[in-house]
Amino acid sequence: MARYGMALNYKNCINCRACETACKEENGVLLGKDNYRIWVGVKEAEGLFPNISIASQTYHPSQCQHCSNAPCQLVCPTNATYYSKDGIVKVDPVKCILCTYCINACPYDARYVDQRTITVDKCTFCSDTRLANGETTTACQATCPTKVRVFGDLDDPTSEISQLLAKKEYRRVKEHLGTEPKLFYIL
Amino acid sequence: MNTISLKKLFYFEKTPLNLLMAFITVALLGAFAAGAVLYILHGHHAYNVTRQHPWGLLISMYVFFVVSSTGLCIISSIGHVFGIPEFQQIGKRAIAGAIITISSGFAVIALEIGHPVTMLIYNVLTPGLTSAIWWMGTLYGMYLAFICLEFFFLAIKENHTLSKFFGIGGLLVGLAAHSNLGAVFGFLVSRPSANGVFYPVYFILSAMITGCYLIFLMYGFRYKMNFPAKVEVMLVKLSKILGMLLAVLIFFEAWKILTAVYGDLPERGATIMHSIKHPNFWFGELILGMLIPFTIILVSNAKAIKATVYASITGMVGIFFMRYDLVHDTLLYPMRTLKISEYELAPTFLEYFPSFAEFAIGFGGIGISLFLYYVADKVFNLDESHSH
Ligand code: SF4
Ligand code: SF4
Ligand code: SF4
Repeated sequence: MARYGMALNYKNCINCRACETACKEENGVLLGKDNYRIWVGVKEAEGLFPNISIASQTYHPSQCQHCSNAPCQLVCPTNATYYSKDGIVKVDPVKCILCTYCINACPYDARYVDQRTITVDKCTFCSDTRLANGETTTACQATCPTKVRVFGDLDDPTSEISQLLAKKEYRRVKEHLGTEPKLFYIL
Repeated sequence: MNTISLKKLFYFEKTPLNLLMAFITVALLGAFAAGAVLYILHGHHAYNVTRQHPWGLLISMYVFFVVSSTGLCIISSIGHVFGIPEFQQIGKRAIAGAIITISSGFAVIALEIGHPVTMLIYNVLTPGLTSAIWWMGTLYGMYLAFICLEFFFLAIKENHTLSKFFGIGGLLVGLAAHSNLGAVFGFLVSRPSANGVFYPVYFILSAMITGCYLIFLMYGFRYKMNFPAKVEVMLVKLSKILGMLLAVLIFFEAWKILTAVYGDLPERGATIMHSIKHPNFWFGELILGMLIPFTIILVSNAKAIKATVYASITGMVGIFFMRYDLVHDTLLYPMRTLKISEYELAPTFLEYFPSFAEFAIGFGGIGISLFLYYVADKVFNLDESHSH
């Protein structure tokens, strides 16, 4: 079985948000302020004019971290949130009671209420829309003009992502919480 | 149990206080119905909860009701579980109150949980044993069954042994359920200001305080402040217990705040500082909920029970703010720390104010409690029965 993860050359991000659009298109995510699986955080430049640090203005593309020790999964009262056999954290809309406990528990604000099913939704690594059809990339990855994302199997040492992580230094977000995120930000 | 006609059920002495209570009850019941209709029409859009602040007033009010219920159950157990004679008399009234308040809580939460029927099915089919909500819900279901049986054997088919048996069961399950409700917040690793041992313990403590306030209110209303000697003795004792519990709570809160701000750990110190500067905390929780009742008890050496009845009103308002802040403060610190659109400022502490529907349903729940209490008081003899 695969163990999917994603590496992000986040410094290449130009904040074009093609990924946000592609994700909505591919996965039928509705329009609306709270409805998104993926987003680009903008860190504003630091310093006072004229000493503004250009290097400090960075973009942080983000989505569900597919934590290996996911708080959202631990707190779910009906096991609606579960790990797929590929380590992808998913929500079963049949079992979700919309208690929204998982939204509170996720340290990354990765979850929202899908107004189509009235249950909680989040990034699925495109498992239903692409991986299930034999594709090996995610929509956000395929669309990215600067190729920020590398998606693949962390257990396969020859995969592009494993090779990349073996060579590069990276950090993970809020690692101190012990969530073991599977999004790797290449430094 | 009294058999009474419908006409008798709705007959009451038309004193100004009774009329006021009747008006409040009907108004709140109407509000609940209006809120429920809004929810049925618009779902969660009727509420001001968002992706970043997914829980709001309704969760607070649910906690408010179940805290009240557990508190009444704990305080009543002083008499009929632990056998302290002066407290025997509150058993029936307190357990009736416990059943009523938790039922109101369930009515409120049913309009907050998106799919309550799915919950009943999948709580059983695929239980999430690592979820504090699963434990809390399951244990509270058992608790309700226990205290209903306890009430049955206290008030309907009197049987001391069985009422005591179910009383002990209800108490233990209630304590477990209630501390699990604290753990719903205490287990949140994502929220450093809530994470930890504080809430599970604090919930039990504040439940006992709530139980005391409610006993004072129920007896103040029952005897219109002219307490028989026997009741007065009990209330003076209860007032001493309340004073001690409040002292523990104040001590506990002080250390919670000090440990939280000491060293200013990320996401924790600033969150707690932000919340204690808000009037909800220093006026609502601290002055109304703790200091006014505590001062009255301290100054009067626990003897001013009439004043304590009035202080129980501010006390319950304070308890409401404690429940409201519990939810809001837990969610205060944003989990998305960077701005994602050009048209916003960098995220800071989250704002939330309940919508009309949330107020209507949440406070409407109090109407349900008042109405059921009125009925219970008519149908069952909630005073101590004289057979023992
Ligand atoms: S990022 Fe949030 S939603 Fe995704 S697996 Fe981790 S805790 Fe769950
Ligand atoms: S909202 Fe749904 S997925 Fe989230 S914890 Fe509740 S039941 Fe589980
Ligand atoms: S992996 Fe798929 S579902 Fe996840 S953010 Fe990218 S496009 Fe959306």
